[in-house]
Amino acid sequence: MHGWCGKILRVDLSLGKVASEPLDPHVAREYIGGRGFGIYYLRKEVDPACDPLGPANKIIMAAGPLTGTAAPTGARYVVTTKSPLTGAITCSNSGGNFPAELKKSGHDALIIEGASAQPVYLWIDGARAELRPAEHLWGKTTHEADDALRGETHAKAKTAVIGPAGEKRVLFAAIMNDRDRAAGRAGVGAVMGAKKLKAVVVRGVGEVALADPAAFQAANAKYRDDFKAKTRVNPPALRTHGTAITSVGTQAHGVFPTRNFQQGTFEGWEAIGGEELTKKYLVRAKPCFSCPIACGRVTRVPDGPFQGEGEGPEYETIYSLGSNCGVDDLAALTKANYLCNELGLDTISMGCAIACAMELVEKGHLKESEVGMPLRWGDGHALVALTRMTALREGFGDVLAGGSRRLAARCGRSELAMTSKGLDFAGYDPRGVQGLGLNYATSPIGGSHMRGDTAYFELLGVPVPADPHTWEDKPPLVAKWQDLFCVIDAAGLCVFFSVRYLVEQNLMVKPVGITELLNGATGAGYTPEEVEKIGERIFNAERLFLLAAGFTRKDDSLPPRMTREPMPAGPAKGLVCRLEEMLGPYYQLRGWTPDGVPADAKLKDLGLG
Amino acid sequence: MKVRVNTFANLREYAPDGRSGFELALADGATVAELFAALRIPATVEAVMLVNGRRADAATRLNGGDEVTLFPPMEGG
Repeated sequence: MHGWCGKILRVDLSLGKVASEPLDPHVAREYIGGRGFGIYYLRKEVDPACDPLGPANKIIMAAGPLTGTAAPTGARYVVTTKSPLTGAITCSNSGGNFPAELKKSGHDALIIEGASAQPVYLWIDGARAELRPAEHLWGKTTHEADDALRGETHAKAKTAVIGPAGEKRVLFAAIMNDRDRAAGRAGVGAVMGAKKLKAVVVRGVGEVALADPAAFQAANAKYRDDFKAKTRVNPPALRTHGTAITSVGTQAHGVFPTRNFQQGTFEGWEAIGGEELTKKYLVRAKPCFSCPIACGRVTRVPDGPFQGEGEGPEYETIYSLGSNCGVDDLAALTKANYLCNELGLDTISMGCAIACAMELVEKGHLKESEVGMPLRWGDGHALVALTRMTALREGFGDVLAGGSRRLAARCGRSELAMTSKGLDFAGYDPRGVQGLGLNYATSPIGGSHMRGDTAYFELLGVPVPADPHTWEDKPPLVAKWQDLFCVIDAAGLCVFFSVRYLVEQNLMVKPVGITELLNGATGAGYTPEEVEKIGERIFNAERLFLLAAGFTRKDDSLPPRMTREPMPAGPAKGLVCRLEEMLGPYYQLRGWTPDGVPADAKLKDLGLG
Repeated sequence: MKVRVNTFANLREYAPDGRSGFELALADGATVAELFAALRIPATVEAVMLVNGRRADAATRLNGGDEVTLFPPMEGG
């Protein structure tokens, strides 16, 4: 096979056995890879009713055919499992260098099953793979573990590890690869911790074979040249300032979530913005494998109570640990970000749990005596202390470790958790970004922006701008973008490059460039329409797992604050998210029943019947 | 008339002294395109344009006291 390695590594932790098996060419063609392989194997092998933290759950780590190639941003892999935070599917995506190394070792995917009695790690050295004891690594931070693992395997090996948060099964623990890149959302790290798998370490020296090197190189050169030409005149804001620059767009539109989504503008927004980050703390930009953009940030807080160094913050962290907690101290939120990276936590859900606690205290539903410290909006010291306590499950951190939804329910105020399907929202208030509200509600993993980020065109002008306040026109666009993101996540690409250069530059985003690169790499001879259909197949397959896990139409929802409390001030003043009006048309054009179930005709059309 | 202008990232270089948040005098009824001309922003430079927090384009007419925000298109967080 080309593009694909044609090999999957199955790791049975209960038996301590590692064995490779061939990748079914039919599955490769029908699901592409990455997120597609994740849902294919999850549906085939995992009981949707299983305990997410029990041995019956599995973790599928899968790269795409473009991962590890010279394709621009061919750096991504996807971790798919049943989430302990939500009970739904989660498919969390990360870049860095680990995914490309996995491909260069000759593997498209790992299927990790069972559970080990003692801590272990998986060492993949090219074609050889073995489980090794990891008791000496248990309790170590992600950075300490990365250092130790490369010391005892190979200096150039790449790692994906869990920190203490994953070991302690914090329900939003992340898997950190290359030290500071996160497969962050919905608790993939807790599943790894429950299996007592501390790390996957990989060393690959091969190259990904290409079916048609000339065609691949031609497409690669064309899209890289497009990028160079455009960025000569328009320097990419993501390279200059990182994703942190995004708050200029969300603040200007009045959808920058503030104080647990009580407001859409934050008076301290500039102090925690991307330009301030560049000025005060940026050390250098850091690209993932084969990426011409380089949005990653290596930063250092040189002095003061929050001194430290590491990577971040990204925009989502600036919102979750910053504005959403009323924190205008960039050093404090950056320090909390470093802790999340080192202890292995999702920054979004961490910030949202603290923000929820802050509102519960403000409204008198939670006593500060129970928290063990004063907890007021804007308290950077509490932010840092609670982040550490959560990762270690110390004191009130043990409560926060269950996430905002469980915290709010415990205080009798479920409506104050800003989640969909139990997953905390990203940094866009859906009252002023209608399409994103529909996406939060219908995303298979819950309140994520990365399952069809309509904020790109509703707020940020990519690929072309659209009105964020209209809702009548959004259902078809949301469906189209959700399917596109399935394709990008399956191919092994990053959305940032793909939406600007590898799709037609209109709202229907036909994946022309992605198709060219896929064909050059795999020789599959896809048409763009066929690739779009694969995206739809993946999205529907995820929906089927979700329904089988017990979710129904009522879970395609937003908290009442989003649908019944008008935005109090700013450019989105007076708006609510018109979810109910959008949901019916959305189901209909997806070929789903009024209850949100894919109809037989649709399943047959997609080869899922 | 006078409008208030906020520019960010690479568009900041077209602000009079590199500082975002400044007042600009324009002829009554001027459009966003005329504001671009006044700031000498080349046509090849891409910008997301907002007037009072609402989506605008080059043809949008401005009123005295309007707040105009300009930032480069970006892929987001």
